[in-house]
Amino acid sequence: MGKLEEPRQIRIDAKSAVPAYEQIKRAIKLAILSGRWENGKQLMTLREMALKLMVNPNTIIKVYGQLENEGFIYSRPGAGYYVKLDPAKFSKGSPELFREVTEDYISKALQLGYSAEQILREVAALTNIGIPSARRKDHGNDRD
Amino acid sequence: MIEIRGVSFSYGKTGVFRDFSLSIPEGQVCLVTGINGVGKSTLLRLMAGVLRPDKGKIRYDPKLGADPRRKIGFVSDALSLYESLTIAEAIGFHKSVYGLSSFDDSLVQHTKIGCRQKVRELSIGQRTIFHLNLILSLEPAVLLVDEIIHSIDAYLRKVFLEQIVQLLSKRRLTVVMVNVNFHDIEHLIERVILLKSGEIAVDENIEDLKSKVKKIVARNRPDSLNVLSQIDYSEHSEFFVYPFDNRLRGTIEGDIFDLNLTEIVSAFIGGEYA
Repeated sequence: MGKLEEPRQIRIDAKSAVPAYEQIKRAIKLAILSGRWENGKQLMTLREMALKLMVNPNTIIKVYGQLENEGFIYSRPGAGYYVKLDPAKFSKGSPELFREVTEDYISKALQLGYSAEQILREVAALTNIGIPSARRKDHGNDRD
Repeated sequence: MIEIRGVSFSYGKTGVFRDFSLSIPEGQVCLVTGINGVGKSTLLRLMAGVLRPDKGKIRYDPKLGADPRRKIGFVSDALSLYESLTIAEAIGFHKSVYGLSSFDDSLVQHTKIGCRQKVRELSIGQRTIFHLNLILSLEPAVLLVDEIIHSIDAYLRKVFLEQIVQLLSKRRLTVVMVNVNFHDIEHLIERVILLKSGEIAVDENIEDLKSKVKKIVARNRPDSLNVLSQIDYSEHSEFFVYPFDNRLRGTIEGDIFDLNLTEIVSAFIGGEYA
């Protein structure tokens, strides 16, 4: 199997006070938990990842080290890092991550000036759970 | 490791540093910033051994050997020695001076610099890349990067920075950069040192710095916080504060925003011009 064509999904928000290593780690966890990165696939090497994201290689060492400790990836000495989708970890790791991601999203939306109700309606609209009048109405311009 | 201890330095009667101390551990990537004329480049030249302190000492890791200057790469616009030589001649000269048996000129090749071109014919960007290539052939343990990378184009700047990331992933390399423009080096930096009137005004690791500097948008000045600078609008003002403490969230009137490194440094520097 070839190496993962990452990190299209990994974007570091330079404005965020969430440290870069934490942002990268979350993005990788999400990719793994969502199934986009399949079990057993090889990750980019430390150097490749650092170059791609233009981050200090020490940051990637930290990210991979922590992901390995948390059981999301494993390393074969001299060969690289691979996705490890341990079902037990799956159910244990994901509620906590889900909470993190949700909080992150909510705080960003609130910063943009949206109310909790608007956020809820937007989520409903995007996930098609069909709360009436959720779509379009509050999109965008009513925040000034 | 570079240890600057009690250093004083002046250009004639113009004092730059007085009893200045700073220690940079091995393998750290540091950014030195501050307003123009604050002494950033002077500090770099002192570290490089190009300038000698009037007082005090600069010590290097014993691993750098008896002649530490050889293991310190100073990237600046200092190719004057080679002006009239061609690239091939300059490489030959460099090899003989430093007793190198081989020379990896892949960086030069990469940037389409011809071997028969004279050094003086190169653009500033090409000169910088060529200079970096010469420096890297000596396998430096410390890389000092002056503001020169501001004057090179976006492509060569990328080549330059990629080269640094490559090196950092291969071995321990201490990097000190002087810079006022950070968008593409933001995530390479581990520590930020801000100079003010010849002294260290801020010395924080990047993560702490980001959590401690915030923008607060409010009508009134937050009097429980130290305001670095502010921008006033008709209905509200933006207050740049440091140090912010997360526990204060909730007690502050107004909205609190995170900042990127460029904004953070502008907030500090803006305060000095106010």
